[in-house]
Amino acid sequence: MRKLVAVIKREYTQRVRAKMFIITTILLPVSMLLFGVVPVLVLNIESGNPFRLVVVDGTGKMFDRFRTALLNREMPEPDPDPTKRGQAVENESRSFSLEELRAGSAGSNTNELERRLQQNQIDGYLILPTDLMEGGKAQFFRRNTGDFFINRRVQDALDKTVRDQRLINAKVDAKTLGALDDSVDLETTRISKSGQERDAGSGMALVFGVGFIMYLSVLLYGQVILGSVIEEKETRIAEVLFSSVRPFTLMIGKLVGVSLVALTQLAIWALAFVALSLYGIGALKSRGLPTGLPNIPLSVYFYFILFFLLGYFVYSTLYAMVGSIVTTPQEGGQLAMPIVLVLVIAFYFFLPVSRNPDSDFAFWISLVPFFAPIAMLVRIVTQTPPFWQIALSLFIGFSTVAFLTWLTSRIYRIGMLMYGKRASIPEIVRWVRQS
Amino acid sequence: MTNNEITVRVDRVSKSFGDFTAVKDLSLTVRAGRVFGLLGPNGAGKSTSIRMIVNITAPDTGRIELFGRHIDSQLQDRIGYLPEERGLYKRMKVADQLRFFAELKNVSGKFANERIDYWLARLKLSEWKLKRTGELSKGMQQKIQFISAVLHDPDLVILDEPFSGLDPVNLELLKDVVLELKRAGKTIIFSTHLMNIAERICDDICLLNRAEKVLDGSIREVKKSFGRNSVALRIESGNGNLDSSKLISKIEHHSDEIEVLLTADANPQEFLKQLINSGAIVTKFEMIEPSLNDIFIEKVSET
Repeated sequence: MRKLVAVIKREYTQRVRAKMFIITTILLPVSMLLFGVVPVLVLNIESGNPFRLVVVDGTGKMFDRFRTALLNREMPEPDPDPTKRGQAVENESRSFSLEELRAGSAGSNTNELERRLQQNQIDGYLILPTDLMEGGKAQFFRRNTGDFFINRRVQDALDKTVRDQRLINAKVDAKTLGALDDSVDLETTRISKSGQERDAGSGMALVFGVGFIMYLSVLLYGQVILGSVIEEKETRIAEVLFSSVRPFTLMIGKLVGVSLVALTQLAIWALAFVALSLYGIGALKSRGLPTGLPNIPLSVYFYFILFFLLGYFVYSTLYAMVGSIVTTPQEGGQLAMPIVLVLVIAFYFFLPVSRNPDSDFAFWISLVPFFAPIAMLVRIVTQTPPFWQIALSLFIGFSTVAFLTWLTSRIYRIGMLMYGKRASIPEIVRWVRQS
Repeated sequence: MTNNEITVRVDRVSKSFGDFTAVKDLSLTVRAGRVFGLLGPNGAGKSTSIRMIVNITAPDTGRIELFGRHIDSQLQDRIGYLPEERGLYKRMKVADQLRFFAELKNVSGKFANERIDYWLARLKLSEWKLKRTGELSKGMQQKIQFISAVLHDPDLVILDEPFSGLDPVNLELLKDVVLELKRAGKTIIFSTHLMNIAERICDDICLLNRAEKVLDGSIREVKKSFGRNSVALRIESGNGNLDSSKLISKIEHHSDEIEVLLTADANPQEFLKQLINSGAIVTKFEMIEPSLNDIFIEKVSET
């Protein structure tokens, strides 16, 4: 036991003290923030001036309606969140400046329009044919067709214009016209055995969040475990260690030590996140916006932690196993690829399981240790399965972790004495049998 | 502990890796408080034998007993082991590293710290205590590794090629430390192919070649049984009719003396008498023991 503690302590202190730990702790959230925020900022950069569009209206009556649709200056709709939508519209509507030309009027011939386009007096022109209402093809000319935002807005506005016009021709009154655009609010409520609860949706979001954090920490710390196992092989420290501790103790010590590092890092991030969101919620509340934590029973949070740990350990043992087979980190990186693949597949089961959480398929999937962490959590938040199923899933999972660790330590012990070559499968099988 | 107590008993042990036989039917005993040299050329099976003794690998067949018990992981705490392939955590500080290795042997706290200080001072490494191990020279790292093997005051110290790669000064230092450990009653097993060192510090030896034991016993016994009947000879005036003597099988001329190898059943006294009778003036007549080096080369090349 003292030896186990010594191994854990060394793994933990060496890694937490390392510069890499401090750097990733700070850098990862910052870079995620950058990846999340920068693209949005970049997309929102207006390339300065509004889009100068000439509309040649062959029908003679569509322009006003089109302009309204394009600039979205309609009568305020009964919108559940008017402040938000209104603002966005205002921002976007500034990016067009429209000019109407009657068909056949001076300057409406294509040569003249083309000349203006080439001389950069306008940014594009749109020709609405006289038979627009009868299925005629509208034509849009512009210098740069790459900006699909503009294309789409013009397209949408045209669609709406024509649709509205058709409705008016069919004698539909303006009020009905407005009501047509209202969407229906769908409130999803989950009925469990204990009665009515809300927020199955936010439960799913949480599962997804847990899955994502698991994915992230397996990716980050699987490598660390891999490296840590290989380090002792490469530097031949393992031989001294094996003369002092049992390989199983060593393996467990490594897994636990590195995991504590991972949990420390996650805890730092979680605390920072909670602090920030408390601040954020406060700010939202002061503006009178609806806030609230998802309404999820405490037991579910407990399961979140258990299954997160299960997932983390199942996958990191696999990394340790790869580390015990290979001789260099490069080799390890290659051989570890399938692990990530399995993890991704586990993610894909999210959807079928959430659609049918009570099916046989979901039941069996949630018993397989590599898939259970996500599948079982999905089942728990959607249609909580009987307790024995959860317990069985956890039992199988953690037994697998113990078995894999044992297997790994055996492979490790003998693989360590082999020089310079990766073991073949039959060799590994032999190693496990002997020693 | 009396000198007749047996610390290690290896009984008909074999070990092979696939088709390759590393150790074949090896039996040996190491008595308490003695320095035991495991000798042999490269690839003879020394390291594999040692690994089995420290319970890193298990023998395919045969039995190994330490301190009168079948080897188990608890006994590992009474063993100190310096592997041939040295390995230390490069990024750890020397003191942290040694403390970690001590903890793995169930030694910690104040006692561990005292021992660390003692040994660093003994091997003249005190000033490096708080340095990262990677900053030390190779020889220094080797001494650190040696400390990690003796730090927990083990009863049995097993050193695989402890002297390779050391400069003469450090080699002498380490040799003294080994003899100190012996005086403190420890049992020491070490492997080497440096015969002159083995000759100076071993009480008992075992010579391995191609996975098999070639000979073993105390150095004195080995040399005696190997008695080649050699005489170092210096003669003034005349050659003493050496060439005609039937007792001689081989003569080697050195700068100022002659080494004479007598036939197997020849009596050296008879030979001396013959020399004097022939009128030669003998200024030196010394029975030469074969050096371990000679034995090594002869035994290894003959198998």
